[in-house]
Amino acid sequence: MNSGNQLNSGNRLQNLQGNRACVLGAVAAGCRFYAGYPITPSSEIAENMSLEMPRNGGVFVQMEDEISSMAAIIGASAGGVKVMTATSGPGFSLKQENIGFAAATEIPCVIVNVMRGGPSTGMPTRPAQSDIMQARWGTHGDHPVVVLCPWSVEEIYMQAIRAFNIAESLRVPVVLLYDEVIGHLVETVDFSALQNPQLYERKWAQGDPETFLPYANPGDGVPEMARPGTAFRTHTTGLTHAEGGFPTQDPATVERVMKRLLGKVDAHPELVEQVDEYYCDDCELLIVSFGITARSSQAALRQLQEQGIKVGLFRPVTLWPFPQQRFLAAAAGTRAVLVAEMNAGQLIQEVQRHVGRDIRVQGLQRFDGDVISPQQIVDCAKRILQDD
Amino acid sequence: MMETATSCTPMKPKDYKSGVKPVWCPGCGDFSVLMALTKALAEMRLAAEQVALISGIGCSSRLPAYLNVYGFHSVHGRALPVATGLKIARPDLTVLAAGGDGDGFSIGGNHFMHSCRRNVDITYIVMDNQVYGMTKGQASPTTDPDWDHSKLTPGGTKVNPYYPLVIALASGANFIARASSSDPNGAAKVIVDAIRHPGFSFVHILSPCITFRPEQRDWKKMVRPAPVEATSNPVTAAHRLMTDDNFFLGTLYKGNRPPYQPDLTPVIDDLSSIEKDFEL
Repeated sequence: MNSGNQLNSGNRLQNLQGNRACVLGAVAAGCRFYAGYPITPSSEIAENMSLEMPRNGGVFVQMEDEISSMAAIIGASAGGVKVMTATSGPGFSLKQENIGFAAATEIPCVIVNVMRGGPSTGMPTRPAQSDIMQARWGTHGDHPVVVLCPWSVEEIYMQAIRAFNIAESLRVPVVLLYDEVIGHLVETVDFSALQNPQLYERKWAQGDPETFLPYANPGDGVPEMARPGTAFRTHTTGLTHAEGGFPTQDPATVERVMKRLLGKVDAHPELVEQVDEYYCDDCELLIVSFGITARSSQAALRQLQEQGIKVGLFRPVTLWPFPQQRFLAAAAGTRAVLVAEMNAGQLIQEVQRHVGRDIRVQGLQRFDGDVISPQQIVDCAKRILQDD
Repeated sequence: MMETATSCTPMKPKDYKSGVKPVWCPGCGDFSVLMALTKALAEMRLAAEQVALISGIGCSSRLPAYLNVYGFHSVHGRALPVATGLKIARPDLTVLAAGGDGDGFSIGGNHFMHSCRRNVDITYIVMDNQVYGMTKGQASPTTDPDWDHSKLTPGGTKVNPYYPLVIALASGANFIARASSSDPNGAAKVIVDAIRHPGFSFVHILSPCITFRPEQRDWKKMVRPAPVEATSNPVTAAHRLMTDDNFFLGTLYKGNRPPYQPDLTPVIDDLSSIEKDFEL
């Protein structure tokens, strides 16, 4: 099978659109099944997948709706294939019940959400960052989920690979979440350092099939998976199930299996956690932002530093689980934190939760379908430091 | 790596049972459907690990837990797209889907239509009792308009019932049959034919809910074999459905449309010519 080498012409540098980089990253990670439904601004992912899946021995299928796209990748993943689907806000809402099913049954899958303005149909062609909370809490019940937030075309490629690595090794749905700007941005990607990425594979069931327990904890919180067609026959259900895979309502059993399920992502920070920090060691003001807003923040950072203002930037690449310890370390010693995001104030709630009342937290929010400009961030930063 | 699809030793129906006790009420038609399905698998000598049974939510959707095949109890209404993904990704498996009339025709109605259309090689068994049993007796899409025993529709639904065989034929299912839980041997035979027939096969099984629809006990007196053989002509099948009273049993239609095959041929084999335009 093709190793997913994306360089057909052997060139080190390529101009790529973000959504195409997402597809090339998925292919490099070993994705061989894509099911989707057209939706702006993510449709280029489906278009590129319809090209790249057959070229790499995989399957592309256009389903009848967003729900069936999510269901189809669950079925294919249960069959043992690495899978992905992509959508935007309204489609992401429709997929949520099945995302919860994948979380509960621990079926690896990658869901891309290219964020547009909402609520409802909102502004299909305008960018937003307003699905932050939906990505974490969109499905019902307590459940693990991992959300990755790239800020450049090159990082979309890398985070797509990471999304598969985390999904496969922890048996968890992983959301690759980026805004329309990053998705449609065309940037130069330098592939010289991106060749032959390390890939993590699913742990398949081993040992005696007669005594195999499909949801037993092997120690690291992640059960071995049974591949249909082998002797490890299993029953997979969205009902709360015991280690044997069959439904249970016994309180002690439910507490035990739920604790394992809810703890397995946090038990692997080496795999999951990733942050990007600029000048966080010695800053008066710490900017927290992600995606295209972090690009504006980076430009603002330079302007502010030229004016002698000590500013740092903290960018959670893994947005969920929120990198609490790394953030608290970055925020220690600052006078204020500025959370810049293209929504009416979502990530700021998580930030406030962690810093408590010791540090002033100020939000810069924009939800008119336009990007937060570097000047807006500069102005806001100066205002905060003057007020202080 | 792959094991043989059929077993060398003769298989018995009980070899396909998991030993888990069904949640169904005593007298439920679904017990007979479970029996029919295990008979069909034994008749075909399918290795249990080569069979996947996907269901949604509802009484009949509990079926996978009672077989020792690869069982998959998915989300309400979504058995067919899960089965579609699995079969396309793993064509080596025998993929079956099962559920009830509410799961399949109401919340999952869109998937039923499009699965018929797409014609992936899966067999879909619907146990129709014209009621939502697990939620204690509400009208389903196949309920008659004057059934007034539900607290939700005390004056009857006053809505025409859905006619699964018509929808299946109109949507392009490649195999359409009806069976009854009162005749598990006949149902087993139909299921074998359905699995063997390429493409999307739809088996409608009348399976009474004796708890919320006790009058359905009479179904066993009303069902009878259809007086004609299966046709491969959809027009003939459509004509026959005009006079069907929902109690004719047997195979109505055996189409010859080739099953869905994902496009494995690259549209553009080599992107280098396109990429040259974007080189730096």
